[in-house]
Amino acid sequence: MKTIFFIFTCVLLISVTSMGFIRDGDNKIQQRQLALIFQHTMGGDKLVLGTPCKNILGENIIIEKFKYYVSNFSVTDNNGQITKLPAQYFLIDEADPLSKNIILTIPGASIKSICFLLGVDSIKNVSGVQTGALDPLNGMFWTWNSGYIMAKLEGTSEVSAAQGHYFTYHIGGFKNGMNTTRMISLELPEKEVRANQITITAEINQWFKGKSELKITETPVCHSPSALAMRIADNYSTMFSINAAH
Amino acid sequence: MKLAKNTWVMFVIVLIATGWITVDNRYFKPRPVKFIIPPGWPQPVYDFSKNPLTEEGFVLGKQLFYDSRLSKDGNFSCGSCHQQFGAFNTYDHNLSHGFNNALTTRNAPGLFNLAWQKEFMWDGGINHLDLQPLAPITAENEMAETLESVTSKLRSDNQYRKLFKAAFGDETINYQRIGKAMSQFLLQLVSSNSKYDKVMRGEASFILPEQLGYEIFQKKCTGCHAEPMFTDFTYRNTGLPLDLSVSDMGRMKITGDKNDSLKFKVPSLRNVAMTFPYGHDGRFFSLLSVFEHYRKNMVVGPTTDVLLQKKLILSNFEIGQLTAFLYTLTDSTFLKDSRFAPPGFENNANPPADIHQ
Ligand code: HEC
Ligand code: HEC
Repeated sequence: MKTIFFIFTCVLLISVTSMGFIRDGDNKIQQRQLALIFQHTMGGDKLVLGTPCKNILGENIIIEKFKYYVSNFSVTDNNGQITKLPAQYFLIDEADPLSKNIILTIPGASIKSICFLLGVDSIKNVSGVQTGALDPLNGMFWTWNSGYIMAKLEGTSEVSAAQGHYFTYHIGGFKNGMNTTRMISLELPEKEVRANQITITAEINQWFKGKSELKITETPVCHSPSALAMRIADNYSTMFSINAAH
Repeated sequence: MKLAKNTWVMFVIVLIATGWITVDNRYFKPRPVKFIIPPGWPQPVYDFSKNPLTEEGFVLGKQLFYDSRLSKDGNFSCGSCHQQFGAFNTYDHNLSHGFNNALTTRNAPGLFNLAWQKEFMWDGGINHLDLQPLAPITAENEMAETLESVTSKLRSDNQYRKLFKAAFGDETINYQRIGKAMSQFLLQLVSSNSKYDKVMRGEASFILPEQLGYEIFQKKCTGCHAEPMFTDFTYRNTGLPLDLSVSDMGRMKITGDKNDSLKFKVPSLRNVAMTFPYGHDGRFFSLLSVFEHYRKNMVVGPTTDVLLQKKLILSNFEIGQLTAFLYTLTDSTFLKDSRFAPPGFENNANPPADIHQ
């Protein structure tokens, strides 16, 4: 009897105290919140959907949709220590103001640079139906050739030979050789290292003249994993910058 | 005495504690279903740990499979193109009638043994079974609006809310759950009880033409239609000339690789007697026309399979024996299994009238 009683007490004690330990452990690393504000520009001016503008190649365009995924964030502190943040996926959509402000929980008081994947990693492309930002409901998933559209830019232009003068760039593909995800790394300006809020600007002109030229006149449509999609992804991988001014 | 009392007190405390931990899930106890791998078959590729099979999941999946509200115009359910008496193909149709979209440029394959299949569609464009319903539901490549309306149709239905709760623990209805539930139904469509299977298990024996046909089959066909699935799940060009009205380039559409031009998934030949017409676009109306293709009409092009560079030499005699063998692949237990019949028709010996137009 005595031993049974003893064992019971031990088991109870151990389970109660170990729960306490786990909780404590979590709190040890100092965490803080960092808000990222995404803002979109066209030739330096604030992007306004549905209004005429000119791209860097001189083509008259009206942008109707601009959306992209960001995921797999990590931050680097002053000592060069890289911390991967828990897996999170965000769909940034020009048409949805709330989607353009995201909040990360990061370790440490100051960080030197921030890194993320522009797009959705291959694992989530082969794991069936997801929810939240990755829900196929968001129109960023190809149902006939499974995989996410990493980024989308759509609109009209008089120079487009496609039906309805549309230009539609749906950039996706995650398999070897056709992987359109791009790693983006942004240094923080000196005075922003402790900021609680950082504005990241995406300049749409980079789609048309990032690393190579993308003329709507020549290629108004990209709808599948392809060399063209890779080229456009290379272009827009250069679109982000962090504004020093605050 | 006191010690005994203490022990009891401890015992009660532990009981209460465990009760407290499980109280959340007390009302959510779906009944698990064991997935049985037929003897001698490989391990399935579907990851059941992410979607454990349950009775409730199956009931919901079947309800969805036979519900025409999943289609844009409310006229077509999965079951109207995938009919049980045709091993879940579109019985006796080269192309399925439905929405006016890309799907109808191909022949609806039978649906069975999907747990062993990694990629779906004739070009393998879909990489997970849970994703499969999205393609027919959305009809066009990227019609996200329609997805929204389907979920809201289901959400406003009291019975569906109950079925989702029974299967998943709460009433949330989203695409992930629709996909998982549908998979629960599709995964259980296992066809492993044909005469061929019985012979392999030693429960029956082939008659002579079947036996001869089996031997010819092993020589000339298993390079692609490999046992026991009767497909090796690869993509091959068997020399079907391009139909210019649809210009279907097959696997190349998915990989963008010229070497994949005109390649299509090797179809399983299980239940082949029931899945006519044949070929990815249903261009062959009978087994005989398939054989005529293999031995005469094939067009050998740059991506035609190495096994078929000289076409297939088949005598009339061999065709007769092969046909006899292929008929042993019909699994009538599966074709008549009342578990898979439309809800409400489980006890009805006659299949429902042909509901497509
Ligand atoms: C309009 C007719 C039609 C409807 C409705 C339809 N299908 Fe299909 N299904 C097809 C055709 C045609 C194919 C082959 C398409 C291809 O390969 O491109 C197919 C292919 C499939 C496959 C792949 C089989 C394989 O071996 O690769 C599955 C699984 C499937 N359908 C399940 C469903 C489900 C679940 C639904 C309901 C949500 C559904 N289908 C609704 C016609 C239809
Ligand atoms: C080189 C690989 C290969 C070989 C060898 C081969 N097949 Fe096929 N078979 C295929 C492919 C691929 C298809 C689908 C072709 C298409 O529609 O584009 C197919 C289709 C079929 C079909 C139509 C099935 C359906 O449901 O549409 C039948 C029947 C068939 N083969 C029987 C045979 C027989 C019998 C043999 C041996 C005499 C054989 N095949 C040899 C690859 C092969």
